[in-house]
Amino acid sequence: MKVERQDLTAQIEGIKKGGYDYLVKITAVDYEKYLEVVYILRNTEGSQDTTIEVELDPGDAWVPSIMGFYKGADWYERELYEMFGIEIKGRHVERLLLEKWNGKIAPLRKNFVWNTPYETSD
Amino acid sequence: MSIGDLLSIITFVSDSLGLSGTLANIVNTVVYAVLIAILIVVFDYLFGWLERKTIAKIQARHGPTYVGTYGILQNLADFVKLLAKEHVVPKNADKYLFLGTIPMMLSISIFLILLLPFAPTLIESNIGLGMLVVFVLLSFMPLVIFVNGFASGNKFAGISAQRSVIMLASYEIPLLLVLAAVGALAGSYNIASIISAQNNYWFAVMMPIGFVIFFIAMLAEVERPPFDMREADNELIAGWLTDVSAPYYTLALFLDYSRMFLGSLLIVILFLGGWNGPLLPPIVWLLLKCFIVAFFIIVIRATTVRMRIDKLLRFGWIWLMPLALLNLIITYLIFIR
Amino acid sequence: MTTINIGPIHPSTHGVLRLVAEIDGDTVVRVEPHIGFLHRGVEKLVETRMYMQSPPYMEKLDYVAPMAYDEVYVAAVEKALGVDVKERAMYVRVVLLELQRIASHLLWLGTMANDLGQLFTVFMWAFRDRDMVLRLLEEAAGARMFYVNMRLGGLIRDLPEGFQEKADEVLDYLDKRVKEYEDYLEKNPIFMQRMRGVGILSREDALNLGVTGPVLRGSGVKYDVRKNSPYYVYDKLYFEPQVRNEGDCFARYKVRMLELRSSIRLARMAMEKMPAGDAVGMQIRLILPEAKNRIVTVNRELPRGECFMYLVADPQKPYRLSIRDPSFINLAAFGELAKGARTADLFAILGSLDMVMGGVDR
Repeated sequence: MKVERQDLTAQIEGIKKGGYDYLVKITAVDYEKYLEVVYILRNTEGSQDTTIEVELDPGDAWVPSIMGFYKGADWYERELYEMFGIEIKGRHVERLLLEKWNGKIAPLRKNFVWNTPYETSD
Repeated sequence: MSIGDLLSIITFVSDSLGLSGTLANIVNTVVYAVLIAILIVVFDYLFGWLERKTIAKIQARHGPTYVGTYGILQNLADFVKLLAKEHVVPKNADKYLFLGTIPMMLSISIFLILLLPFAPTLIESNIGLGMLVVFVLLSFMPLVIFVNGFASGNKFAGISAQRSVIMLASYEIPLLLVLAAVGALAGSYNIASIISAQNNYWFAVMMPIGFVIFFIAMLAEVERPPFDMREADNELIAGWLTDVSAPYYTLALFLDYSRMFLGSLLIVILFLGGWNGPLLPPIVWLLLKCFIVAFFIIVIRATTVRMRIDKLLRFGWIWLMPLALLNLIITYLIFIR
Repeated sequence: MTTINIGPIHPSTHGVLRLVAEIDGDTVVRVEPHIGFLHRGVEKLVETRMYMQSPPYMEKLDYVAPMAYDEVYVAAVEKALGVDVKERAMYVRVVLLELQRIASHLLWLGTMANDLGQLFTVFMWAFRDRDMVLRLLEEAAGARMFYVNMRLGGLIRDLPEGFQEKADEVLDYLDKRVKEYEDYLEKNPIFMQRMRGVGILSREDALNLGVTGPVLRGSGVKYDVRKNSPYYVYDKLYFEPQVRNEGDCFARYKVRMLELRSSIRLARMAMEKMPAGDAVGMQIRLILPEAKNRIVTVNRELPRGECFMYLVADPQKPYRLSIRDPSFINLAAFGELAKGARTADLFAILGSLDMVMGGVDR
């Protein structure tokens, strides 16, 4: 299911009310022309999964946080920020998840070439 | 070897020098202390070996086999290795307190063993309140650990130091209550009279509750599992020994085993009839019983899970304390009144 | 209030995990796991490799149960390339995966007891028993630790002759041993004291935090991928997901112990029902470089919980492989779980989560 970024929070709220009580994964794919953030949610009773995709412009990559609905989104969202440079709005992050990560590069984007040297923080 | 032979060894030096009076006494004391020190070193070493082998057997391993017969020299090899390591004093540590406390504890425990008799005639200092002296000094140990833990400037050692004091609060009172019962039963705090009072029946038979309480409290006193929260290697890395580097760590290991020796000696003397036993000479009986008690302490170490510090405090005050009081009352009602 | 740093080198952090804990007296106020010491960028690495060059990387993600991870990846590739798994191969895979689960849970049992201050006794026993299972797996796969024996549509080779008899013997022995472990641990009042009521995770919190596997089932959520969305032949084998409602460390422990038993039964059952035929998969050089499906999702029940793979396929190699590691999300819940616990319980809770840092950092 494709969703616009501004509708994301409302959609997820609706889906959660519909019995999808479990967040499986938040991930992203870099299709070069656009970034796609994928939310996979699950109804544990009926064991059905649903997928929500949000397309983002690589230059203006941010999504609203869904921490309010699923606390488990915490580390996934931080991972998105560190690996894809997708900013998460509406939540406070004290530090980067990965130790010694400088947080300036987005290694899982396609424009980052494998084995490029990078500098660690401190 | 009979007791006479042992005594002649002690007096050998003063006799051959032709000394008499106070001077001879001083020389005899020194010789005795050296002999006991050798005994302690040998026993610590044997306990170390026994512990490694027993735990290995329990864990379906072989334990040390390579160095010496049945790996008897393995601990010596480890000892030499540890002595060869670099000695580091952490920057945050209070150097003199940090380095001073471990030798201090070792000397306390050796001094305590020195106070204990090994045979009817092998009593160095037959103090009237000998047992009380032993326990007063024994209560110093956790406080010295507390000082060491804070002096090392390590946070894990600091937590360990706090735990040390909490532990002291949890088992010390039951321990002394049981000791009071023993004193009442023997009619004296003199160590030799406590043992000779057990000529017919061991105190372990006369007050089983007291024996169990004393055994548990002694496990805590000598820092053996399940009460090794001070050292707690899974939680606090090595507790108060975290920042202690190799040469001092060997001392700490010695301390560990001499405390185990001390603990088992106290259990044997107070409850298991001391040197009483048929056929064999008294000193052999004493050390044999000591070895058996140590074996049980080791088996407990290999099988149990570590207790939590707050649960120990609760256990000490809710179970050990009332039971120790009950033991005292029962002992009074049955045997003394 | 003291802040203490635990790890990354510490006896009880199971690898390179760093915990920063704020402690008030003996009570933990806040604890935050710092991860990333083992980060290798596997997700990026996979994008640069052909499809079947990646299984060895996948195995290193969970070095305690490598075959299970291997299988998830191969299943995702199978789905992307549209390869069907042979009937016998399905049964063989189920047998091997259940054996792998037994091996993994045995290792967990040992380390868990160790975290509680047990002096390596259960650890050694569990390792001895685990070694028997590993020997079986070695016979089937050819390697003891990292197997890489999954191929598209089957396995690198069929089970060797006489495997079933040997496996039956080992499973019978393990059945007795599991009972022994349970007796040994649960009759120890100190063990029960350390496990009961420690690190409680309620059902709502478990769902909200998204924990998986035995942690989720220990909190009373009846969700097991093998039952809820069966793969291979799990729908033909009889078993029930093990659920406990307490949500404490003991519940998680008990779920795993029960799973050990159900895995033994499942492996036996799968071996009995196994049809004759061919279980050998495609040779790697025969794989046609064309992906039929663009986006593929696969979920599997690993010993540690549910692994979810999101694979965007290119003809030659994965365009993007996103892995949802069970240890990662279980560790994310650790901060919530440990709040208000005692310092010593920190490690009991950590042990009951059973995480492997290889998967957490990826």
